[in-house]
Amino acid sequence: MPSAKITVFFDGVSSRKRQVSLVLADALEIVEEGAAPVRWAYDDIRRSDSPLGILRLASISAPPLARLEIRDTALGAEVIARCARLDEHLTTGRGVAKIVGWSVAAAVSIVCVVLFGVPLAADRLAPLVPKPIERRIGDASEVQVKTIFGRRVCDDPAGRAAFTKLVNRLRDAAGLDDDSMTAGVLPSAIPNAFALPGGKVYVLNALIDKAENPDELAGVLAHELGHLKHHDNMRGLIYNGGTSFLIGLLFGDVTGSSAVIFASRSVVEASYSREAETAADTFAIDIMHALGRSPKPAAELMFRITGKEGGSGFTILASHPLTEDRLARMTKEDRPASGPPLLTDTEWQALKGICGSGKI
Amino acid sequence: MNDMQWAPIGSEPLPPPLPPTRVDFTGDRSVFRKMVTKGAMLELVTFGFYRFWMVTDIRRHLWSNTAIDGDAAEYTGRAKELLIGFLVALAILVPIYLAYFLVGIEFERWQGFASTPLFISFYAFGQFAIFRARRYRLTRTVWRGVRFWMDGSGWAYSVRAMAWGLLVFLTLGIALPWREASLERYKMQHTHYGDLRGDFVGDGWEFFKRGWWLWLLSPVAVVIFPLAPFVYAEFKAREWRWWLDGLRIGGVNVSSQLPHNAFYGVYWKVIGWWMLLSVLFGLYIAGVTGLIAAAGVAPTGPDAFARSIPFLVAMVIGYLATVLALNVVMRMYLQHDIWVKALETLEVHDIGAAADVQGRGELANALGEGFADGLDVAGF
Repeated sequence: MPSAKITVFFDGVSSRKRQVSLVLADALEIVEEGAAPVRWAYDDIRRSDSPLGILRLASISAPPLARLEIRDTALGAEVIARCARLDEHLTTGRGVAKIVGWSVAAAVSIVCVVLFGVPLAADRLAPLVPKPIERRIGDASEVQVKTIFGRRVCDDPAGRAAFTKLVNRLRDAAGLDDDSMTAGVLPSAIPNAFALPGGKVYVLNALIDKAENPDELAGVLAHELGHLKHHDNMRGLIYNGGTSFLIGLLFGDVTGSSAVIFASRSVVEASYSREAETAADTFAIDIMHALGRSPKPAAELMFRITGKEGGSGFTILASHPLTEDRLARMTKEDRPASGPPLLTDTEWQALKGICGSGKI
Repeated sequence: MNDMQWAPIGSEPLPPPLPPTRVDFTGDRSVFRKMVTKGAMLELVTFGFYRFWMVTDIRRHLWSNTAIDGDAAEYTGRAKELLIGFLVALAILVPIYLAYFLVGIEFERWQGFASTPLFISFYAFGQFAIFRARRYRLTRTVWRGVRFWMDGSGWAYSVRAMAWGLLVFLTLGIALPWREASLERYKMQHTHYGDLRGDFVGDGWEFFKRGWWLWLLSPVAVVIFPLAPFVYAEFKAREWRWWLDGLRIGGVNVSSQLPHNAFYGVYWKVIGWWMLLSVLFGLYIAGVTGLIAAAGVAPTGPDAFARSIPFLVAMVIGYLATVLALNVVMRMYLQHDIWVKALETLEVHDIGAAADVQGRGELANALGEGFADGLDVAGF
């Protein structure tokens, strides 16, 4: 036998290379000179990975790493002809189809959970989050906010009193718990307001500067109270955590760093947050009506700040409804004032000066 | 009849020094290309789940076509193990993420953004995953009917990697060669082939001498872009050669003649493909935009395209196709070609020491691979 065509056997116990000859009896007999022959039943023989030109065999009843290497093609063909279950363990076309099928099923179920399950879970779980936990998360975000906007809180006494009066009137109308809410004004050139978990509402001073009357500010505050009332922070937290985890699971990267995940997350989460914003608007409209004031001025204030938003890029990614849409909605809800003004002129002037007379 | 050259050396009183053995790669490049192309398409339709099978196929191909002293290696790992490892890793990572979140809140209460350093804990976890994934791959690597295996602790490795990482950070990268030497020593000294124990004899100083000027050049390469691939390719080639030269298993040792410019072509080809694919993607987007505008499907208005569902769908498909094509390119050049180039120049000395090794070692589970996948630190 030419040396290139030798048959080699590794017994799976040692790395010794044994030159053997084969006897094709009722089982495959592997014969090494001076040693007892090894018998492999044909039905137990399986193909192993090998380079081209070498037939490498294993047996499920032999030591798992025992390998028989046949380099002679004719001899290999004879052995193959006897081994009925040689390729049984390999991934076939059907196997691949199965992988594809199950993957698609898994993907569909993940997408369904993201679209229906997670929002439902967030809606149900958010009100159940114990107050102390919510407040702790709120405290943490408050520290972050103060790191960004500086530690100073605007506390001109007269302005503070007017602000408290305004907030208290809104809070009573909103039916929020007495102890669960704090509100403050922070000095900043960015006109904005936001709610934090644990009942914290912050108004940035520039928003008060831009507001022309108490109703404008009250509408915005009522909107933020709506977020508190609906537990939107906790809902968002649960929702964002859930979706980024699930979408990460889908693409195999739980930390969620790659672009696909980022893109799909932004779209899904923005639509969820748009819903929350619309709900908070509804809440603000109801409160303003309950106080006998119109919700329209708040939308006008927002419109003055943002301008027309449509046409400025990817609205599918926007986390808020378009300002012009909100203005249109609140204009529809416009009613002549039936209740007393929320603040007197003096109080309103005091509130405008809450951060001191000078600009920031 | 026993005229085999691998007869135990002890049988002769004074064995003549054997010539070095070569390592051959017998794989067909086009087979590999077809495999990764098909794999990329299946990854697309399976939302990425096919990656476990893909990675397994790549390893099986590379391993079984790598012949040392005429005998090809074998990769015995299977995709199902990786899938299970990934799922188990998820089950463990979820509570860890939750704990990370809660601890983060407590830190933030104390001081704004104080929780940022907590991110480092994920780096530590990633190092642990790298070690454990290597253990999985090694225990699936079989040569001459005996498997490789590993002992040692993933956490001990992680602590070392972290400490060295800090030193590299503090020395602006100068300590990198010593970090690599130390970590490789730890990995190799806990690597076994049957009853042979591995070792790593490369030292940091040697690596430093071969690459210090690249370290000096790297700030320049950041500024002058076309220089960067050269610097990186130089560095990688020197790193590979130094690493291969240092490998030992029992009495078997390895030497590499990898030329310093071996990887220039590989990296430039990747960059070329990347540019080509970017241009194609740009043309595709332009084409789709024109087509949709012509068909008049889109709603009118200034932001019509952002609202148009067909446009978004077409964009996502184009993006995924580009990413997958780039994946094929990277697997071809950065896995296959680098593997082949490194093997071409490799010589194995005293292979006789591995002629009669007793099989040892238990199979390790694929949990480490799962973590590596979940944390995005996966290697080969």
